Amino acid sequence: MLKRSFTAVVERNVTVEGRLETEPYETGWAGEARWFVHVLAADADTVLRIASEISPDGLTWCAHEADPVSRRGPGLVSLPLTMVGPWQRLVLTTEPAAPIKVIVYLTLRE
Amino acid sequence: MSSFADLRRALVAADPRLSRFNPLPRILFHDDFDEGVNGWCELIGNHDGNLDKVRPVISDMRPPQISNVSFFDIGTHGSVDGTYALKLATRARAHHMALAIKRLTYVKPGLVQFETYFTIKAEGWIGTLPERHKSFDGNVDPSVFDFGDFCIGNDVCDLEFGRRYHCALRYLNTDDDGNLVRKWMYKTSLQTSTRMVIEGAPHTTDYHVANPNDWAEVPGGEQNLCYNELPTKVNWHYLRYVFDTSAGRNVELQVNDKIMDLRSIPVPTYGKGYWGLEKLLNFCVDVRTHRPVRNFLFLDSVLVSVDW
Repeated sequence: MLKRSFTAVVERNVTVEGRLETEPYETGWAGEARWFVHVLAADADTVLRIASEISPDGLTWCAHEADPVSRRGPGLVSLPLTMVGPWQRLVLTTEPAAPIKVIVYLTLRE
Repeated sequence: MSSFADLRRALVAADPRLSRFNPLPRILFHDDFDEGVNGWCELIGNHDGNLDKVRPVISDMRPPQISNVSFFDIGTHGSVDGTYALKLATRARAHHMALAIKRLTYVKPGLVQFETYFTIKAEGWIGTLPERHKSFDGNVDPSVFDFGDFCIGNDVCDLEFGRRYHCALRYLNTDDDGNLVRKWMYKTSLQTSTRMVIEGAPHTTDYHVANPNDWAEVPGGEQNLCYNELPTKVNWHYLRYVFDTSAGRNVELQVNDKIMDLRSIPVPTYGKGYWGLEKLLNFCVDVRTHRPVRNFLFLDSVLVSVDW
């Protein structure tokens, strides 16, 4: 059987201004994961930083071991994860704290 | 009884995955969420590529999750059999709804039966009792007052520009003030569509109905579900819902031992037909919080059967 996979749009067309934590998402079944953030609209000078956080229960969070990544202006940025863990969320921060609009995808695979 | 019917019943009874259901003659699908999402996906409102045009009430229905039903105090609970269930989770925002849909078309009009094993919970907390809760008596867990409602329903259309309707049956656990209600309700107005809004209808705050109060009690619809005290104790319930795409109506709802006859319940039907929905047969489940607390609906598995 082919490996199961799933794409969750955990945020869609939302504005980030300063900091946004995505909703908790269960990933216990997944062996690997990759975040994508599509920056739909942003000033050319605004830098988006994304960092993955993990949780055992969906309530309490700490940083995932993957290094955060950044992007300036509109476009797509990706953050791959191994050792996924039972819950994931993404922390998005903008610097300066100017509003940007994004779609956040969490892609999962056995 | 024919030998075929006897043999079929014996085969269903002998299969542990099927014998807890009561299928009509043809099983259309059997979704065990140990095997994946099986076509249950997030619902989104219509748009032309510009997501700003998606109506707010249907812009954020949340992606379903494959959950091993884990909690901070006991770890993994798992599902009825196997490990995983389908989970719908609202945001921690009052009146937010999470809805999953599975889309088919139908071969023949007639009876359609949706069966599932489900459980509901409000999100718990670690530490001190939140201020919104006054007391803890060791039995009535305060989190039960944080659970709003959940629905099962459909979206059916027989012909292009023909008869289209949504059935929705809502288990109202609490009212907006947080008082326990614990009754099954049915909708009394049309679900506002994107086209209706473009044509001038007002935006809505309850996805299913034009006005949030457009719900009536199912006759004899009082039911105490098993919450079992903690938000981390999960007890699965059997649900069987039958509707009729020939008559265009609800037929019956069974939840555990309670059976409700729905045949006399009126089903709002659109006066103006829709293009491109020939033989539409969609199944919907949703959960809605009344408070800034996440609400969850878990489905162990789903079996849909038909009478053709």
